[in-house]
Amino acid sequence: MCREDALVRIARIAWVVLCLLTLATWAVGRAGLYGPAIVALLLLSVLVKGQVVIDVFMGLRGVRGPWRWLVSGWLVTVLVLIGVAYWSGREA
Amino acid sequence: MPPAAMSSGTAKAQARTLPGDMAIWFFILAELLVFGVFFLAYAFARARHVALFDHYQQTLDRTSGAINTLVLITSSWCVVNAVAAIRRDRADLCTRWLLAAIGGGAVFVVLKLHEFAEKAAAGITLSTNTFYMFYLSLTFFHFMHVLMGMVILAFVAAKARRGGYDAGNHTGVETGASYWHMVDLVWIVLFPLVYVMH
Repeated sequence: MCREDALVRIARIAWVVLCLLTLATWAVGRAGLYGPAIVALLLLSVLVKGQVVIDVFMGLRGVRGPWRWLVSGWLVTVLVLIGVAYWSGREA
Repeated sequence: MPPAAMSSGTAKAQARTLPGDMAIWFFILAELLVFGVFFLAYAFARARHVALFDHYQQTLDRTSGAINTLVLITSSWCVVNAVAAIRRDRADLCTRWLLAAIGGGAVFVVLKLHEFAEKAAAGITLSTNTFYMFYLSLTFFHFMHVLMGMVILAFVAAKARRGGYDAGNHTGVETGASYWHMVDLVWIVLFPLVYVMH
């Protein structure tokens, strides 16, 4: 199997994973679920989805230099701070 | 060096090369920074007005937001296939995948315009309240990026159709693809944050 065949196959799996996680997020919203555990799960789901996009779709996995870490770092920082904001809102 | 070892070394070197033009990655980082500030402004504003944000969030169409997420993810996947096609020297296939991706973008635009029109018909504007100010400005800012991404992909598709790219020269395809994936990545954060989390 050539490199491009493997890329296409992995991208297809990634697409399915992203769709399933999106449907799960939609189901959480439709069911009206809320609370710290739900928010933590949603943020974890976004982290997984975002990292899949960064590694597979953007193709940053294994790239020389800081690029993958810069984009992944952006994702992790934003999600952690959203979590902090959510918790600070609960305490207010 | 034996040919097999040489091709293996070349493959490794290719795997480590940043996809597309490096300039687009500085642009992507700048865009991510702006969106990141926007997301955190929303999250911390919500922390000060939890009841207001939770109440008005219920007025949003989550199904439309989820469909838009699926559409953008699928469109991004089409772009991945377009890049794989041009690396195999299949410019015709690359063009078709890019057109499919642009089609996905068009579906997103139509659904979003419908959502904006509904809100406008209900008399909702940026000054209605803090929640709608963030909702409208965040989603409209992203909407403009979708439009820009579609224009970029259209230029790339037109050049691919004219035979402007091949297996050895496809930086332009990767550059357009990287921008489109950034638009997808941002929406992946935006959808649960604005439509679901409360």
